[in-house]
Amino acid sequence: MGPPLRPNQCRSRLGAPPSLPAVCGRVARNPGLQVGMAAFAATAGRLLGLRAAGTEGRLLRLRGAGLQWALLQPASATGDAAQRRQVAHFTFQPDPEPQEYGQTQKMNLFQAITSALDNSLAKDPTAVIFGEDVAFGGVFRCTVGLRDKYGKDRVFNTPLCEQGIVGFGIGIAVTGATAIAEIQFADYIFPAFDQIVNEAAKYRYRSGDLFNCGSLTIRAPWGCVGHGALYHSQSPEAFFAHCPGIKVVVPRSPFQAKGLLLSCIEDKNPCIFFEPKILYRAAVEQVPVEPYHIPLSQAEVIQEGSDVTLVAWGTQVHVMREVASMAQEKLGVSCEVIDLKTILPWDMDTVCKEECFLNLEAPISRVCGYDTPFPHIFEPFYIPDKWKCYDALRKMINY
Amino acid sequence: MRKMLAAVSRVLSGVAQKPASRVLVASRNFANDATFEIKKCDLHRLEEGPPVTTVLTREDGLKYYRMMQTVRRMELKADQLYKQKIIRGFCHLCDGQEACCVGLEAGINPTDHLITAYRAHGFTFTRGLSVREILAELTGRRGGCAKGKGGSMHMYAKNFYGGNGIVGAQVPLGAGIALACKYNGKDEVCLTLYGDGAANQGQIFEAYNMAALWKLPCIFICENNRYGMGTSVERAAASTDYYKRGDFIPGLRVDGMDILCVREATRFAAAYCRSGKGPILMELQTYRYHGHSMSDPGVSYRTREEIQEVRSKSDPIMLLKDRMVNSNLASVEELKEIDVEVRGANQWIKFKSIS
Repeated sequence: MGPPLRPNQCRSRLGAPPSLPAVCGRVARNPGLQVGMAAFAATAGRLLGLRAAGTEGRLLRLRGAGLQWALLQPASATGDAAQRRQVAHFTFQPDPEPQEYGQTQKMNLFQAITSALDNSLAKDPTAVIFGEDVAFGGVFRCTVGLRDKYGKDRVFNTPLCEQGIVGFGIGIAVTGATAIAEIQFADYIFPAFDQIVNEAAKYRYRSGDLFNCGSLTIRAPWGCVGHGALYHSQSPEAFFAHCPGIKVVVPRSPFQAKGLLLSCIEDKNPCIFFEPKILYRAAVEQVPVEPYHIPLSQAEVIQEGSDVTLVAWGTQVHVMREVASMAQEKLGVSCEVIDLKTILPWDMDTVCKEECFLNLEAPISRVCGYDTPFPHIFEPFYIPDKWKCYDALRKMINY
Repeated sequence: MRKMLAAVSRVLSGVAQKPASRVLVASRNFANDATFEIKKCDLHRLEEGPPVTTVLTREDGLKYYRMMQTVRRMELKADQLYKQKIIRGFCHLCDGQEACCVGLEAGINPTDHLITAYRAHGFTFTRGLSVREILAELTGRRGGCAKGKGGSMHMYAKNFYGGNGIVGAQVPLGAGIALACKYNGKDEVCLTLYGDGAANQGQIFEAYNMAALWKLPCIFICENNRYGMGTSVERAAASTDYYKRGDFIPGLRVDGMDILCVREATRFAAAYCRSGKGPILMELQTYRYHGHSMSDPGVSYRTREEIQEVRSKSDPIMLLKDRMVNSNLASVEELKEIDVEVRGANQWIKFKSIS
C-alpha cells in the first residue's frame, strides 16, 4: 500500500485541523490498521469535499478512494501546488446584519438569488423564469424549488440557444409580463449581444414609448472562479457599458444581490444582472427574508478615507478592502473604498465630482486583467489580486 | 514462497513480462480479412446509402482496436488525474464514443480537415497527436499541444481545428474551412462536428444554408449521445431526427457504436462531397459513459441501468473485439496483449517528465 506516513507529511497533504495529523501519525505507526486508515481517509475526504465544494462548484466531490490514493503518495511539489491553488485571491467580508428589513436568515449568494426570485414570483403573477437547466434548480442552484412551488408554466427550460432565449425574453416583456432570463454563463451571452443591444436597448426609444421591454431581466454567472479558463470566467460588463437603454448591475454580496436583483426586476428598463460565481457559496451573510430594494445607479462608500479612492465592483470589492487595510497598515495611507454596484448608468457623483480632475494629485490608475483571453493555467498571474492593486496604489502615492 | 515473492517483486517493479501466449499467437493462422454485415443507415434525400457489408483486414482491425483502447484508457486516466486535481478546469470525456473518432478517421485521409466541439480528446489523438502531448495539455504544461494554454477544450493539430468551448460556434468555421478546401481544389473535405445540444443553435442553420448554396465539401456530423449536458434529446428538440435537420441537405443516420458502420458511412459521405455535390449530414448515434464533464456524475438525468445496458450490449471496443475473434482475425490473447500494452505503457506513469 505504500510507505507509512510521517505526521508532517499528512499535514502538508491535507492542511487539516490540528487534531487530524495526530490521528494520522498514530495510524501510520500501526500498518495493520488498514480499516482505520480507510475510515480516516473517508472522513478527511468528506471534510475536504465540503471545502472543495465551496471553491469548485456544486457536483465536484473529493471521493474517499481518491483521497486515499493521494494520502499514500509521498508529498510532492505537484501536490503542494494543487493545494496552494485552492486558496482564493480574496476573503469575503460580510456586512453587518441589516436591521431595517425585518427577520434575516443566513444565506449564501445563490440562496439570496433564490429568495429574490421567490419573492418576485410570489408578488408578480406574470413573472416567469427561463433558461438552460433552470427547471431542476440550475447549474448553480439559483432556482432550486421554484418550479415545484410555482409550476412548470412559470419556471421552464429552454433549448441551447442564447440568442433565442433573449429574443424570446424581449417578446415576453413587450407584452407586459415579467421575464427573468438566465444565461448559463456570462461567457455565453455573446450570441445574444445583438438582441440585447439592437433590440432590447432600443425598443422604447424606437417605438416612441409605445412599446418597451422594461420588464426583462437577464441574469448570468460572472467572473473568475479559479479554474474556469477561457469560457467560464469572463466579465463582459464592459461590452455593455456603452449601450444606452439597458442597465448593468454587479453585486458584491448576498444582501446586496437580493436587493439589487429585486430592483432590476422591477426597474422599467431591461437589466443585465451579473452574479459573481465565485461568491455563490463563498459569500455567506444575514439576508432579510422579505423583499427589499437597493437602489440602482447608486454607488456605496463602504469605507471612508481621505487619501486615495478605490473603486471596484463584484468580487473585487473584497480585494480592495484588503488593499485598503494593507495601505493603512504599511503606508499609513487612508483609502476610500467605493462599490460601484451599477455599471450602467453609473453613479458619477459619488465617484467623482465634475471638477475633480483639477484636484487629482496623480493620474487615475486601472488595475485589471491583461490584454489576453482569460487564461487556463495562468489565472493566478492574470487576475488583479491585492498585490497588483497595492503596487498600483504605491506608485500612485509616490507619483 | 519464493514464487510469491518473485511475483510481488515483478508487480512492484512494473516490468511487463513477455507472456507465454506470444509464442502461441505467432504460430496460429489468422484470416487476412473478413466480411461483415453492418446496419443499414436511415437516409434523407438520398437514393442510395453506404454499403451494408464491409471488408475488414486483420491489420486494420488491430489498428482500430489499439486506437480505441488507447482513447478509452486515456480518458479513464484523465478521469483519475482530474480527481487527484492534477487536471483542473473543465474536462469532457468521450469514453463510449471511441467508434466515432476512430471510425471517422478511418474513413478520411490525413489531408482532410476536422473540427469539433469540446469533447475532443479522442479526435486530438486520432488526428495524430500523442497521448503525452494530450495529457500535458490537460495538465497545463508547456509540452502540451497548445503549450498548456488551452486545456481540455482547446487542443489543435495539423488539419484539426480544435477543440471549441462555445457550443455551435465551430460549425460556421467548418463551413469556412470547406470553402477553403473547394477553393484550393485539392479534393479535400471538412468534417464539422457538433452535438445534439448544439443542433438547436441558430448558427448551425446559417452554416447549412451557406454550405448548400455554395456546394461546399462539408460533412456536417451530429454526434448524438442522447443528452445535451443533462437534457435528454426529447426535452430539447422539436425534431430528434438530427440527420434530417439539414432539410435541403441530404442526410444519413449511422450506428455510432459500430466502428465499421461509421467508417463506411464516412467513406460514402466523403465520396459524395468530393464529387462536388455539396454538403452532406451524418448523425452518429452514440453514447457517453461519463457525465457531461467531470463535475457531472451523469446519473441524475439517466439511470445507471441505462448506462450499464449500453456498456454490456453496445460497447464499441467489445463489438470490434467480438467480430475479430469470431471471424478468426485475431485471438483473444492477442487482443489482451494489446490491452496490457496500452494500459502498462510508460506514458502513464512518469508524469513529472511531461513539461
